[in-house]
Amino acid sequence: MKKLLVILSALLVVLSLTACAPKEEEPTYELALVTDIGTIDDKSFNQGAWEGVKQYAEENDITYQYYQPAEATTAAYVEAIGQAVDGGAKVVVTPGYMFAPAILEAQDLYPEVKFVLLDADPHDENYTEFRIEDNVYSIYYAEEQSGFLAGYAAVIDGYTSLGFMGGMAVPAVVRFGHGFVQGAEAAAVELNVDVTVKYEYLNSFAPDDAHKTKALAWYSEGVEAIFVAAGGAGLSVMAAADTLDTAKVIGVDVDQSNLSDSVITSAMKGLTTSVYEALVDYYADEFKGGVIETLDVTKDGVGLPEDFSRFTTFNQAKYDEIYAKLVNGTIVVKKDAAKVMDLVLTKVVITLIGSE
Amino acid sequence: MNILDTLFFLVKNMIPYMIPLTIVALGGMFSERSGIVNIALEGIMVFGASFGIFYIYFLPNLFPPQITLLIALVIALISGMVFSLLHAYASINLKANQTISGTALNLFALAFHDFMARLITPNAVEGVRFENAFRIVKVPLLGDIPLIGDLLFKDVYITTYLGIVILIVASFVLYKTRFGLRLRACGEHPQAADSVGIKVNRMRYAGVLISGALAGLGGLVLVVPSTVEYTGTVSGYGFLALAVLIFGQWKPTKIFLAAAFFGLMQVIANSSGLSFFTALGINKYFYQIVPFLTTLIVLTFTSSKSAAPKAAGEPYDPGKR
Repeated sequence: MKKLLVILSALLVVLSLTACAPKEEEPTYELALVTDIGTIDDKSFNQGAWEGVKQYAEENDITYQYYQPAEATTAAYVEAIGQAVDGGAKVVVTPGYMFAPAILEAQDLYPEVKFVLLDADPHDENYTEFRIEDNVYSIYYAEEQSGFLAGYAAVIDGYTSLGFMGGMAVPAVVRFGHGFVQGAEAAAVELNVDVTVKYEYLNSFAPDDAHKTKALAWYSEGVEAIFVAAGGAGLSVMAAADTLDTAKVIGVDVDQSNLSDSVITSAMKGLTTSVYEALVDYYADEFKGGVIETLDVTKDGVGLPEDFSRFTTFNQAKYDEIYAKLVNGTIVVKKDAAKVMDLVLTKVVITLIGSE
Repeated sequence: MNILDTLFFLVKNMIPYMIPLTIVALGGMFSERSGIVNIALEGIMVFGASFGIFYIYFLPNLFPPQITLLIALVIALISGMVFSLLHAYASINLKANQTISGTALNLFALAFHDFMARLITPNAVEGVRFENAFRIVKVPLLGDIPLIGDLLFKDVYITTYLGIVILIVASFVLYKTRFGLRLRACGEHPQAADSVGIKVNRMRYAGVLISGALAGLGGLVLVVPSTVEYTGTVSGYGFLALAVLIFGQWKPTKIFLAAAFFGLMQVIANSSGLSFFTALGINKYFYQIVPFLTTLIVLTFTSSKSAAPKAAGEPYDPGKR
């Protein structure tokens, strides 16, 4: 028995050595994405951006790869970008406002590489230096409009007890939350009903039992639908909703209706399309370097998915009507309130749990 | 919600936490009672859950849901057992440091899940999605009993009952069988056990394999009700099970109570949104530290009369007295 083991392990060593011997050339990847906190398969933010990269790369037979920073610090982000560039990247997509300082550095470090920065424009950590070079294209999304549409739809559809769970109080999530509350308000005023919203930040973008319990607690308190803008943490909320007959979830970033029957709609932002189009521009030599753009309803940057079948009264016509009002400016959604409690609301009562 | 409803909510939601904790801590108990410290519980949970979930992922509809879940549980159990063999071989045959061997397993399991998941999922990601069709909405007849029916026979998983069965079987085996007595002897004084003809190494293998089986099972029991996608983490529950084991003084009934206690604390930590708690006006972050604070306090008071098996953690040396 022992002899056999020795022979086997000797074989293993020899085999692994020979396997390494004819070293192949390192493969290179022309398109790269560096993930934010959360993983590539968070079913929302990172994944939405990644799918844009993937779609373009596969259609045009271009190599692509993603890189996950070791930790959520600027140094680690810069390092991961460095890895991507060393790996042969010509375009690096960086989703997330946390990348702003990293891109400020990287745009000078790698002038020949193009960067697509989502949810941010390059600036330093103290917000003192703002500078965008010709190799960076910054995309913002009007999350407040997307959240507004979701909140409006939910209340019009008869939900009057709502919840909002944000991942962290980072700008994009805050815009989602504030928009959601304002949308609920608009519909509540229209229908003359009273609406309550529980409002909390989870401090996490990952699935966790704790979020499931939290969601169950909310549902048992009478909350009918929870808008969860927290990446993978949404999966736990859906798991909670799945155990209850009437509990509903509103998804985020991408159409999440396939994840759970409880998802009535999703507050989307056009991550996949905008990344895809940025890549189209790049290969057509029309890269929007140095541009900072906000994609809103006027540019089809945000909205709800086309399927309204999980609503009872809210429908396409209603959606088009409110969407048009956002486009022509009849309704302006505030996005710069410092705190959700600062929003002036008449028919919506917010219970803020924790702090913002 | 009034106080009774709140109480009901807490107890009801305590169950999904306490059942896996009980199962895994009982596993740890068998290992430590035989004299082998098994800090690999976390890794074995991840490993067992991985294989169970892979099965559900590939063959979700081959059998009716409950049968599928049972098969997945058996697979988790077996894979946990096989995985724990590594720990057993290192710590019994090679007389390795049991902490190091256990840590190795913990590290390996995470990496192994990522590797496997990336191989099998279409997008090469580490999260494996599965359809959770295993919830029992209501057990016929029993579900109609007031209160108890709502608590134990509605919205449950068969794993809840499985956990209770394992508890009963475990305490029977440990205290009422020849095997249990011998196992305990090996953890207290292996030389003495050896002198009366008990094969210490064989008993220790048995202890570690049982712990592997239960930890693998517990991993899947934890994962199935709590998410719709398994990403190869059991969020530290293996280590929490070790705390439950210590708090439960290596005794089945006390382990059960300890698991209930920890489960309750976990629920309270995440229930700050209940009106009962918001009415108290205490910051939600306070609730989140409750489990850690109470663990600290409770272990401070109980650790002085620790009933750890005397030989746990020491490789068996027949020449030593």
